[in-house]
Amino acid sequence: MSTAQLAIVVLAAAAGTYLWRGLGVALSGRVSTSSPLFEWVGCVAYAMIAGLVVRLVVLPTGTLATVPLADRVLVCVLAYAVYRLSRRNLFLGVGTGFVAIVALQLMRA
Amino acid sequence: MAGSHRSANLSDAYSSPSAAFRGGFRESFGVPAAVLGAGYVGFGAFAADAGFPLWISVLCTLAIWALPGQLVLLEMASLGAPALLIVTTVMLTATRFLPMTVSLMPMLRSPGQPTWRYFFAAHLLAMTGWAVAMRRCPELPPVARLPYFVGFTACLILCAAAATALGFIASDRLGPTLKLGFVFMNPVYFVIILAGDIRGRMMAISLALGAIAGPLAYLATPQWSVLVAGLAGGTIAYALTRGRRSQ
Repeated sequence: MSTAQLAIVVLAAAAGTYLWRGLGVALSGRVSTSSPLFEWVGCVAYAMIAGLVVRLVVLPTGTLATVPLADRVLVCVLAYAVYRLSRRNLFLGVGTGFVAIVALQLMRA
Repeated sequence: MAGSHRSANLSDAYSSPSAAFRGGFRESFGVPAAVLGAGYVGFGAFAADAGFPLWISVLCTLAIWALPGQLVLLEMASLGAPALLIVTTVMLTATRFLPMTVSLMPMLRSPGQPTWRYFFAAHLLAMTGWAVAMRRCPELPPVARLPYFVGFTACLILCAAAATALGFIASDRLGPTLKLGFVFMNPVYFVIILAGDIRGRMMAISLALGAIAGPLAYLATPQWSVLVAGLAGGTIAYALTRGRRSQ
């Protein structure tokens, strides 16, 4: 994909994302958000992002593919544990992930 | 007593629209912007690793302004998926904005505001700003709410754009080992927020089935995997929870 094509895809995806926000303004006060359609769409969105994230950890492409699977999983578990132990401090959790994966690679080098 | 004192102070501090805008901006410039920034530094690094130009990466943040959708776009574009499929899948990840906007807008309305302001504010809506506004707006006078929301979220999107550029440049310049740290920030960020904020059976089962379906679908068809895994995992999760509920 050329840069110009990529820019068009980004803008089209942005329009598709804004559609829901704009529609929400137009419909606010007129629709119920607890309908079966909304519930199903919510399930699909959660499954989609969970599937993508797990795939990025288990079967990554690019730079991450050079790291052993055990390291990637271990770092996620560690980051999540720190997040829970720090009373849900997302900043500390993500920071731990960063430090842990870098430290593991330095130890292996 | 303490509560009424506090809300009286807040009403004073946010009595004019411009004071409310500045107040929202200040409240967001701190922990909220920093936490969100960690996600966007990761996105910038990921985009650099996938070979995106810097300006396209920042454009993603400013124009799409939804991290899951941006990650989907990045992954699918680097796997060579067709443009129409990418746009459709990103759109599907953004459906959550409809119920979010529908629930927030009645709170932001006040008489005499031109309609375009609400449509502009809607672009700035994302998870962090929505959650804070739902909690804070009832404490504010109605005229202060829209400017408060716009101030809060404008600060977030600007910081996120800066964080995207920072992550991109840092992962490009700081050598391969540190780059790994930056690139892995996004998966870690999502693992934490998805696993750490599970509300209800339906969400839990959707996440679990999606987690299984994602890698399997990728092995079968990389380009379609995000959409196929979401539709399959989400629909089965929906059917399972609906079925149990009606028993």
